[in-house]
Amino acid sequence: MLGLLLLLFLGFYAVSVAALIFLKFRWGMRVVGLAAVLILGSIAVMFAVYSAPALARYGLSLFTTADWDPGAERYGLLSAIVGTLISSALAIAVAMPLAVSAAVAINEFLPSQVRWVVASLLDLTAAMPTVIYGLWGRDVLGPALAAGLNALGSWLLGAEPVRTPLNLLTAGVLLAVMITPYAAAIIREGYGLIPRQIEEAIYAVGATRFEAVLIKLRYIKQYVAGGFFLALGRAMGETAAVAMVVGGNYVRLVLNPVDPGITISSLIALQFPNAANYLYMTPVLYAAALTLVLMGLVINGVALYLLYRWQV
Amino acid sequence: MNMDRKLVAVVAVAVLAVAAVGVWLMSSPQMAPSPTATSSATQTTATASQSATSTATSHPVLSGTVTGAGATFPLPQIQRWSTLFREYTGGKVVVNYQGVGSGAGQSKFLNREIDFAGSDIPLTPQNYEKLKGLVYQFPEIAGSIVVAYNVPEIAYSKTGKYLNLTAEVIAKIYMGEVKQWCDPQIKALNPALADKLPCRDIIAVHRSDGSGTTAYFTLWLAKAYKPWGDAVGWGLTVKWPVDQTGRGVGGQGNPGVASAVEKTEYSVGYIEYAYYALNKKKYDDIGGIAYIRNDNDGKWYLPLPEMVQMGLSAGLERYRQKYGAYPKPDEDWNAVIQELANPPRGYPLSALSFFIVWKDYSAAGYPDAAAKAQLVREFMRYVLTTGQQSVVEGYIALPQELAQIGLSAVSQIKP
Amino acid sequence: MNWRRVKNWLGIGVIVTLSLFAVAPVLSVVVSIYAAGAAAIASLGGLATFLTAEPPDPFATSGGVGPLLAGTLYMTALGAAAGILVGFPIGIYIGEFKRDKLSHVARGAVNMLVEFPTIAMGLFVYGMFSMVRGDVNSVLAPLSRDLSSVLGGWVTWFVGPLDFYNAYIGAAALAIVMIPYVALFTASAYASIDQPLREAAYSLSGREYKAVFTVLRKVVWRAVLASFLLGTAKIAGETAPLFFTALGNHYYAPFTGPTGAVTLWIYEAAQSSYKVQVDSAYGAAAVLLTVVLALFILAKLLGRGR
Repeated sequence: MLGLLLLLFLGFYAVSVAALIFLKFRWGMRVVGLAAVLILGSIAVMFAVYSAPALARYGLSLFTTADWDPGAERYGLLSAIVGTLISSALAIAVAMPLAVSAAVAINEFLPSQVRWVVASLLDLTAAMPTVIYGLWGRDVLGPALAAGLNALGSWLLGAEPVRTPLNLLTAGVLLAVMITPYAAAIIREGYGLIPRQIEEAIYAVGATRFEAVLIKLRYIKQYVAGGFFLALGRAMGETAAVAMVVGGNYVRLVLNPVDPGITISSLIALQFPNAANYLYMTPVLYAAALTLVLMGLVINGVALYLLYRWQV
Repeated sequence: MNMDRKLVAVVAVAVLAVAAVGVWLMSSPQMAPSPTATSSATQTTATASQSATSTATSHPVLSGTVTGAGATFPLPQIQRWSTLFREYTGGKVVVNYQGVGSGAGQSKFLNREIDFAGSDIPLTPQNYEKLKGLVYQFPEIAGSIVVAYNVPEIAYSKTGKYLNLTAEVIAKIYMGEVKQWCDPQIKALNPALADKLPCRDIIAVHRSDGSGTTAYFTLWLAKAYKPWGDAVGWGLTVKWPVDQTGRGVGGQGNPGVASAVEKTEYSVGYIEYAYYALNKKKYDDIGGIAYIRNDNDGKWYLPLPEMVQMGLSAGLERYRQKYGAYPKPDEDWNAVIQELANPPRGYPLSALSFFIVWKDYSAAGYPDAAAKAQLVREFMRYVLTTGQQSVVEGYIALPQELAQIGLSAVSQIKP
Repeated sequence: MNWRRVKNWLGIGVIVTLSLFAVAPVLSVVVSIYAAGAAAIASLGGLATFLTAEPPDPFATSGGVGPLLAGTLYMTALGAAAGILVGFPIGIYIGEFKRDKLSHVARGAVNMLVEFPTIAMGLFVYGMFSMVRGDVNSVLAPLSRDLSSVLGGWVTWFVGPLDFYNAYIGAAALAIVMIPYVALFTASAYASIDQPLREAAYSLSGREYKAVFTVLRKVVWRAVLASFLLGTAKIAGETAPLFFTALGNHYYAPFTGPTGAVTLWIYEAAQSSYKVQVDSAYGAAAVLLTVVLALFILAKLLGRGR
């Protein structure tokens, strides 16, 4: 019965959107925008409902301790939360300069015939199954980073800081490699839509190439921001690739990026297949997903606030 | 005015459309409430008829699809069996098994979403209580776990020797108490290599995902070294004390642990024998695998198939002596694997994987129960007889007595 | 020495270097996939076999991605269609209607959807589906009977009572993953339209929806098309949403039951110990990338014609 109701609801929704768009366009579009919020809302509600048993049993300690002892049914997500923050911050810090540079280089310095080829190749990487990135990260990038940092460390400090290639740094850099194409695509899109008059005006006042680039970037700063948030979201949500390189340390609060750690998304991916064997692991994993939603809420809230402050 | 009439027209059309759909739905004869438990092969054209002359070489005429899911440890082996079984039935029966994890497999099986489950560890006590008397569980394949290490100074290709390790030392490594390779406890076990062991931190590699390999590794440690059992216990995922010292690393999957050991100097890790066997040279160059001492008979063993089967048989025998009979397929096998771990003889670190099937498929609520049960029966029978001779490299066939237990169950699957 | 000129050359140098760093790793991964994949396909029986045969078991000497490719193509096509259908209007709303408070909330919602671990999308669809499955099947069963009596038995491979795991909920999970990407790209495209152009569009077109969906769309169609392609490429390469929706299948099977996908096979085979399976994973990845590349080229050719 419930199923039929759901289907009827969806049917009504779709029909009313189509009707409204023809008749009262603004309202139709508002209903469409509402759909986005509804989808998010339903997923968040599902997480909340499924995680209720864990929240009831563990309360806040679920988020303030780092622990993972399924045999004793003791769980704590702090390590995952901090790991997510560290790896995403690293990823964005590395990816944004790369993405901006790539977008600029493609649009500014490449002849137009080549431009499409390189741009398409970059977009192609979005289709790469993330498992392949994981394998590359585990077998190529991780060891390379570890070797490089260790060489640097022994030369500068006399000690080798990186003990294993599976750590938060590898995860962060791998994420950066993976999210750069997305941010670059949005920025490239914006760059291509800069009106000719603006470009001519910039050069008319005598800007050098580099200065022109800077001015254009400021002109499309909302695209840069859009790219930033898309890339950040992707970094926080990435599961398969991170799971293979992050190091799987659930029980220690890891602050040093070259130590093995864990992120929320990879925690869910790694533990979900066997969660049904334990009493509380499934609700805890849903609580982890809920945490990610809350973190996203905070980040987007901050962004909205900044947006209002800047725009007014 | 125009707008209002158009509005009315559109709304009327929408209402009529929805009403028409509703009428059509109501008139369809399938509006009865659907059964809560439906099986997965609703479009199986499963026709199963016994061939008239059942000689030893003929087999029943079968066709259809069987869906199973669960443990990833036996995945390649089950895939092999699936291919062979399809040939055996003349291309008519397809067995689709997906590795979604032991826990997910058990829960999907409980929901009647799949026809059989694969699980590295037997039904958990909670699930067993729910399903007591309704299911059979039995092992279908065995494997062994090796402890590999990456210490270039004592690599097998350099020294011609493997390291000797015991449960106690390995447990202490994973508890963070034995911190370096030059620890006196390791030296005491390896007098020939003692002076070559470097004073470097041991990086202990374990699984970051839940796994049967972890379960059998920790079960052995728990049984062979009591402090481990008290402090850590065993399971698909455990809390590794060494993680808190920062010298623990988790790899995803057996290849993840294997790759971590390969790429992390001075590390040690436990991996499936298959992975080592197929990459032997690589590991022998960077270190090797450990001889494990069976503390019950004091001998040192390497994880060769015969040694593993010896261990499984010895463990089964110990169970029989303790409980009076071989285990039955519908009892709680948690007690069984306790006896199979750390057996009186043989390589002590062996692993099993189980199949879980319903005793009675129509009672369980599968719509095409008769055909389904027939297919499951035949597949399981094949797996436990001919299948044991087509073992993929790295896996180990069950000792005869163990396979028999499953066989006795399989022929009783109803309807 | 002209300081501005120095800055100019330094700046450009930095940009070029960084962009090389950005592009090099991903390109090297693509190249190594093709290299390993081509070798693998050759060793597994050639391209024709690879595209139609079933995935190899550890003892096999040849194999392919036949059923997996079929599953991926089917689910990606459906998922992309749904994702575009839903994501495009949402994107327009976010990009065009900047003055609405709801539009900012919707943008926030879409940003957050991007952040979700994709495995959660699969679980969500699975949860929703388990609620409606019985009722949906009560409609589909007679429908499939009616259709197959008219069109033939092959219809049951597409329309029929749905198993717990099937290609349609896999496609639904993929669609939900794609919606935020399409929405965000479309929003950027529409937001970039010059105000004069926008005013002209509104004044020239009769209905508001014509202005937005027809005229303005033509202004930004390139960017919008790029977003469709990128979104489709992305879901073609997704694994996690399919775990608990399509489940996976090594054989050709009806789409109303567990369905395989190239990415699911890669996930399974890349972690195998057996060389033949690992090889097939690389071959499968190469095939996937080629399919997506073909899609890009096709879109480009179609675009040229306009």
